[in-house]
Amino acid sequence: MSGKVKKAPAGAGKDNADPEEFDLEKMEKETEEMLRLRFITRDNAVFERTEGGFVSMKMKGESYPRVQVYRSFPFTDPDAYISIREADEKAREIGIIKNLKKDVSKETRQMLEEQLRLRYFTPKIEKIINIKDEYGFAYFDVFTDHGACRFTIHMGGGSVVNLSDTRLMITDLDGNRFEIADVTKLTAPELKKLDLFL
Amino acid sequence: MELLFELPRQLKELLKLYRGEDIKYCVPYDIAEDGILGEAGYLVVTQRRLFITAGNQLAYEWKLEELEKIKCEPLVNNGILLIKEYKQDYEKRVIRFTMHHLTRISFAAKGAERLRDKNNRPVNAKEREKTCLKCGRALPGTKKCPKCDGRLVTVHKFWNLVKDYKMGLFFMFLFSGITTIFHLYIPEYQKHYVDNILKAKSGTAKDVLAFVGVMLALTIALVITEVLKNWWFVSLGARLCMDIRRKMYHKIQELSLSFITDKRPGELMNRVSQDTRMIQRFMQECFGHMFSCIITMVGAITIMLSMNVTMTLVSVVFLPIVFFISTAFRKNIHKRFHLQWVKSDKINSSLQDVISGMRVVKSFGKEQEESEKFDRLSEEFAAIQQKNEIFWASLYPVLTFVMSMGIYFVLYLGGRNILNGKMTVGTLMQFSAYAWMLYGPLGWMTHLPRMITQMVTSLERICDVLDEEPLILNKENAIEHEIKGDVEFKNVSFGYRSYEPVLEKINLKVKKGEMIGLVGASGTGKSTMINLIMHLYEVDDGELLIDGHNINDLNIEKYHSQLGVVLQETFLFSGTIYNNIRFAKPDATEEEVIRASKMANAHDFICKTPDGYNTYVGEHGHNISGGERQRIAIARAILNNPKLLILDEATSSLDTESEYLIQKALERLTEGRTTFAIAHRLSTLHGADRLVVIDGHNIAEIGTHNELMEKKGIYYRLVTAQLQMQKLKEEKEEALGA
Repeated sequence: MSGKVKKAPAGAGKDNADPEEFDLEKMEKETEEMLRLRFITRDNAVFERTEGGFVSMKMKGESYPRVQVYRSFPFTDPDAYISIREADEKAREIGIIKNLKKDVSKETRQMLEEQLRLRYFTPKIEKIINIKDEYGFAYFDVFTDHGACRFTIHMGGGSVVNLSDTRLMITDLDGNRFEIADVTKLTAPELKKLDLFL
Repeated sequence: MELLFELPRQLKELLKLYRGEDIKYCVPYDIAEDGILGEAGYLVVTQRRLFITAGNQLAYEWKLEELEKIKCEPLVNNGILLIKEYKQDYEKRVIRFTMHHLTRISFAAKGAERLRDKNNRPVNAKEREKTCLKCGRALPGTKKCPKCDGRLVTVHKFWNLVKDYKMGLFFMFLFSGITTIFHLYIPEYQKHYVDNILKAKSGTAKDVLAFVGVMLALTIALVITEVLKNWWFVSLGARLCMDIRRKMYHKIQELSLSFITDKRPGELMNRVSQDTRMIQRFMQECFGHMFSCIITMVGAITIMLSMNVTMTLVSVVFLPIVFFISTAFRKNIHKRFHLQWVKSDKINSSLQDVISGMRVVKSFGKEQEESEKFDRLSEEFAAIQQKNEIFWASLYPVLTFVMSMGIYFVLYLGGRNILNGKMTVGTLMQFSAYAWMLYGPLGWMTHLPRMITQMVTSLERICDVLDEEPLILNKENAIEHEIKGDVEFKNVSFGYRSYEPVLEKINLKVKKGEMIGLVGASGTGKSTMINLIMHLYEVDDGELLIDGHNINDLNIEKYHSQLGVVLQETFLFSGTIYNNIRFAKPDATEEEVIRASKMANAHDFICKTPDGYNTYVGEHGHNISGGERQRIAIARAILNNPKLLILDEATSSLDTESEYLIQKALERLTEGRTTFAIAHRLSTLHGADRLVVIDGHNIAEIGTHNELMEKKGIYYRLVTAQLQMQKLKEEKEEALGA
């Protein structure tokens, strides 16, 4: 808690150029603001595509030339509680979209989904062509929804994680992630190749 | 890390390079505009221009001086490159790539910015490739690929490690040879006995006795040579291992901190302990045996062939079957034991979780749930283990049986030959003895490729450390300088990874005896500045001058011996308080140690412990509080009578009383010494002559406390915020009290 309080005035001071007398009330207000959940809906915010390939936003008179779009539950609930943040390093939260499917217009939804697709890159494995394991590493040759791909993982623990009984997340040596959405949908030979990791 | 990939020729033609313009960086990116993975294109940087290709076309072309910002931005499991032109007011996303190229592109972007600023120093890409660029195999944390390195290089490396043990190797081979000869000779002798004495019924009781005597003597000799052979194996392995371990330890100490912090925690430890043990095991169990197995096999087969070719072939006819079965099962076995390993790993980590989080588990009353979870894991593990053991226990005898099936054919053929008078009983016995001699080594040889690969990997990891050149080295004529205390940063830039600057163009002149307080939010580079002053890292750009000498020209050991350092995390070595204080100056007298402890306000509490200065601290040692540890660390720093003093959060996380005591100790300590101090609690810095506020990789404000308060900038806000916080706390306490 104390960390937040300390940060607030530093950030605020940067925004307004006039270094007025230290204002406890202002600081407390800002802290309150940070603790509050602010929901963004089609009524209080306007999003627009930018020339740079991102999305800008206007809300309550404030305008943000670029915002970042984060998921709160990227694995379990990718469309809920979408956090809209400032684009700088601090990435302060501007607000949250509770339900991307309902709370915003279709166009907004589309452009935010584009941003989400850009931010989160986890190809879904559709077909396992081959898995070769050799001295502590496994070499995958797969086909994904983003095209054909080869990657290498560590055989030691942690590379393959069960998100649910049927859903697998595979992390390769470089830190790329691949998902198998439903293991039961794989064919028998594919399952056999994957056997070692189930 | 490779930053200069080969650009396909037809693409290079598209760039239309001017004369004298060369490609400085060329890195691929692998996500196309439509999100499809593959070789999407290249980012190419020359001295003048930056190009981006897409497919077989040129997508963008800029002059470097048109670009304000070239930045690699990491996203989740991928990254993008942002370009900001001066004439535009927005950043444009130009290419996208997976994590495989993220670091590479960050470096290239940084390199492009340097070229734009007419800085011709190439970026120093110390990061290592994760996979071999040639063969695509994963690298075991090394610079070179053990596979692509080639056999000869590996053999050479191995030879380099063992060449000091020529004598040992000689004896190892000698005794292996002798035991093999004994092994091969015994059946020959038995044959003579059976054929000439027993069967011919021409011998006497004396002959039988003589036979038994000779056999006994041979066996004893065999046992003795076996023991000697094993003794040499083991001693050679152990001595070699010790030698490697010692070399690695020395090397690691010599290497700069960045080599150590770049590695995953525990990796170096593994290299010193596990990889060397791997080499030891190889020497003990594999290297010598390999030799004796080969001579035994060659010897046995030659003798068998000379006796009877058909029977020799028959005796090995089942080997291919065994080989086939064991390769067929290898994957299955591997799978089974991998699964077992995974389960045991899960048990371990769950145990670790619960035991280290016991307070939380208990305070939330979750004991029951945790027990059930553990029971379940434990049962699963036991079931798998049982299944695997049964499998193993049944497979192995079956395999041995199949392998030795040939012996029945040998007995059948041999028996018929005896009846036909083509062979003697003794010969058959001798023959079957040799056949048995083959099976053991052959079975063992199937494991050989795996063992050799493991050894080569370990060898590669060891040589990787041993061959590493330390980044910070004493120059040839390094100056043995007595520090006076002037420190100057001249345009210093530094980043732990050179594409991620932590400090940029820092200029600061500190006079002898001055105390400098470093202030700023966490992660702004305060500790980094201190790391540079301690010369744990080398600056990327600019100069760091000590009394006017470049820090790189000073003798490192001499320089370090004149520093006094108190860090936030006081590390006490396992040992007595006395030895911990004497760490920097092992020949300090008792009186000196007491004086230093007095100065550090540590003498009193040390005396109050039952064992005084002989109190054992460190791991499993006497429990001393954070404040006490801190004061021991201060005593350690003073003892040396340092000219330069560095205090990194030396008073954080202490209660008010110990903070007061340490404050006092520090005041005495900083007198007349150039001091750099970092503190979160700004009150700690009230004695500082000047305060340096670091923000956004730069020095934002500089001046005395009063000057900065008047300026009402960052420092002012930090101080008032802290004061307000304190007031708030006090008010609350009062309210609660009332």
